[in-house]
Amino acid sequence: MIGLWSVPLLFALPLALGILSLLVAPAWRARLIFIGLPLLVAASLDVLAGLATAGPQVYRLGDWIAPLGINLVVDGLAVGMILMTTLVASLSALYARVYLRDHPPASSFFWPLLWFLWAGMNGIWLAEDIFNLYVGLEVMGLAAVGMVALRATPQALAAAMRYLLAALLGSLAYLLGVALLYGAYGTLSMAGLQEAATNNATTQVALALIILGLLLKTALFPLHAWLPPAHGGALTPVSALLSALVIKGSFYILMRLWLVLGPEVTPELTAQLLGVLGAGAVFFGGWMAWRQHHLKQLVAYSTVAQIGYLFLFFPLVTNTSPEAARLAWDGTLMMLVAHALAKAALFLSAGNLILAVGSPQISHLVGISRFRPMSLFSFGLAGVSLMGLPPSGGFTAKWLLLHSAILSGQWWWLIVLFLGGLLSAAYIFKVFRMSFREGPQIDRSVTPPLTLDVVALVLAASAIVIGLFAHLPLHWLRMGSMLGMG
Amino acid sequence: MSLRTVFAGLLCLGVIIALGWAVLERPMPEENLPERVAEAMPESGVEHPITAVLLNFRSYDTLLEIAVLLLAVVVALALREAQPDRPEQMGLDNPLLRAVMAWLLPLILVVAGFLLWAGSYQPGGAFQAGAVLAAAGVLLRLAGVTTAWLDNATLMRAGLALGLLTFLGIGLLVMLPGVPFLTYPAEHAGALILLIELTLTLSIGLTLISLFRLTPPYADDPDDARRQETPKP
Repeated sequence: MIGLWSVPLLFALPLALGILSLLVAPAWRARLIFIGLPLLVAASLDVLAGLATAGPQVYRLGDWIAPLGINLVVDGLAVGMILMTTLVASLSALYARVYLRDHPPASSFFWPLLWFLWAGMNGIWLAEDIFNLYVGLEVMGLAAVGMVALRATPQALAAAMRYLLAALLGSLAYLLGVALLYGAYGTLSMAGLQEAATNNATTQVALALIILGLLLKTALFPLHAWLPPAHGGALTPVSALLSALVIKGSFYILMRLWLVLGPEVTPELTAQLLGVLGAGAVFFGGWMAWRQHHLKQLVAYSTVAQIGYLFLFFPLVTNTSPEAARLAWDGTLMMLVAHALAKAALFLSAGNLILAVGSPQISHLVGISRFRPMSLFSFGLAGVSLMGLPPSGGFTAKWLLLHSAILSGQWWWLIVLFLGGLLSAAYIFKVFRMSFREGPQIDRSVTPPLTLDVVALVLAASAIVIGLFAHLPLHWLRMGSMLGMG
Repeated sequence: MSLRTVFAGLLCLGVIIALGWAVLERPMPEENLPERVAEAMPESGVEHPITAVLLNFRSYDTLLEIAVLLLAVVVALALREAQPDRPEQMGLDNPLLRAVMAWLLPLILVVAGFLLWAGSYQPGGAFQAGAVLAAAGVLLRLAGVTTAWLDNATLMRAGLALGLLTFLGIGLLVMLPGVPFLTYPAEHAGALILLIELTLTLSIGLTLISLFRLTPPYADDPDDARRQETPKP
């Protein structure tokens, strides 16, 4: 059986490392990454090799058949997300090992939380069972809340508490929806639901609860208020992990469920509404990002904006031609992956700039271009992808979404794509304008360790490279997708 | 009544009506899962369907739930280490309380053991037994009894991790013949489940005790902390 060991190891290994890092002395916690990262990279690549040679697989845990047992689904989408997680989380871990040296000992709890977070995310990517997804969401969400609280200042604790309440409310709404679906169809397996679900009051109420819960967890406008303090106020590697990966978890579930329930159940009106909220997020998030004075708050609001593009998926795949739906699928996933890489790079390079000037204020960046060109270059490269300029991943994604919008005759989304790009340019250039200005404010800067700059640069470069070679990842991501593209 | 309260009230009312509507209009499921569980019971290694679902058919869910419990303690530990506060002043030094405790503790332990054992053929199991065990720990704490092993951080962490580690280890070990994760061999399923439940009981009990012990003695919401920081005039 393909992936017999590598599939469960994707979550079992981080769980084991999480426990281990709790038992060893604090000084050893960070060093566990030298065991963990190679093994997780190997497991991820093995799963990819399995997909490339044998196609999509179903993994039956405990050898029980769903709906009695729990299945895992190893299709292109799941494997794509796993690889994205492995890349971003590994690089963030390397960054954190250096970054956390100058922080109080309590921050070494970052390591057990990181491993649990990783296990939760891989659990979500692989899940095929809607209750199992709930448990995965809880593992990921609680680890994320704990990471936000690590800084332990009153502001960080308030942000973490707000995040916890939002996450819990979201999970509970999702769980209510799951309970209704189970009551109506007697199965928790997505494959079972795909066959059994019909359009009736119970399904619609369940769908509404699930959508609301997941929107709150994804922080889609206007349910985004918890995100900027949580993501902007956390330790830098935590911000990168949360913005790049964690919010994608709940979006991923919504995307899968939407396709599982199919066009008979998913109302076109809801799809358009989700698109409109996405558009609102792009405009509001971009505008708020431009108005920020703190660098990391700016990056956090940029996340609020970028989430909006992902939600154009729903109007573009619901009751549209297969060709338009395929382009929307490709575009959304390219957007998701490119944003993960670019946003992690943006947060990490912003963290480097803050370390260099010793202040989170954007106005204190005056003249920094002379001292930290490399940090600024990573920031710029990541910005290119966020703005959607060629040849980045962000450009490819917008190009595909644009084609999908034209093909399906929904020209109004073009305005969102165009104006959203302009707004991103406005807030990215705001940082650049300040850093290239010559001023008396600083005459020297702290030099952060080289590792920090290199990690940010690698992530930023990947966000560009993925746009140049978009063909191959998109081919894998399509394998076994529910849009019937083989 | 503020506008916010009215809005929240209307929202709750809307959700209640929608839920009621959804439940009343519910179609009858075609899939009969309880029947499938009943059919598979002989292979599960236990006699009670709930235990079979929790620790065999859907054991992966339970594994992740245990991870959530451990995670909660990790977060509590991190927060407590970041904010060392005043020496703990908890516990009533009352001879009567101690005398009652001497009677209660053995009883609690017996009840916990019974609940664990009962789980294989009637409602019960690791979660319930662990909760009862935790009650004993909370009582000890309230009575001000200090025990060396509860205050030993290393031992405590080992105990906390034991359940998840055993669960994970068994899940991986059974794969050696070439079967998927968590596939217990039918002839040993009962023994393996009992072993998992035994360690889970201990770890769940310690998890709840830890959460209780790690709670700071005063309410420390951020507003409170800010008030303490501001210098008195």
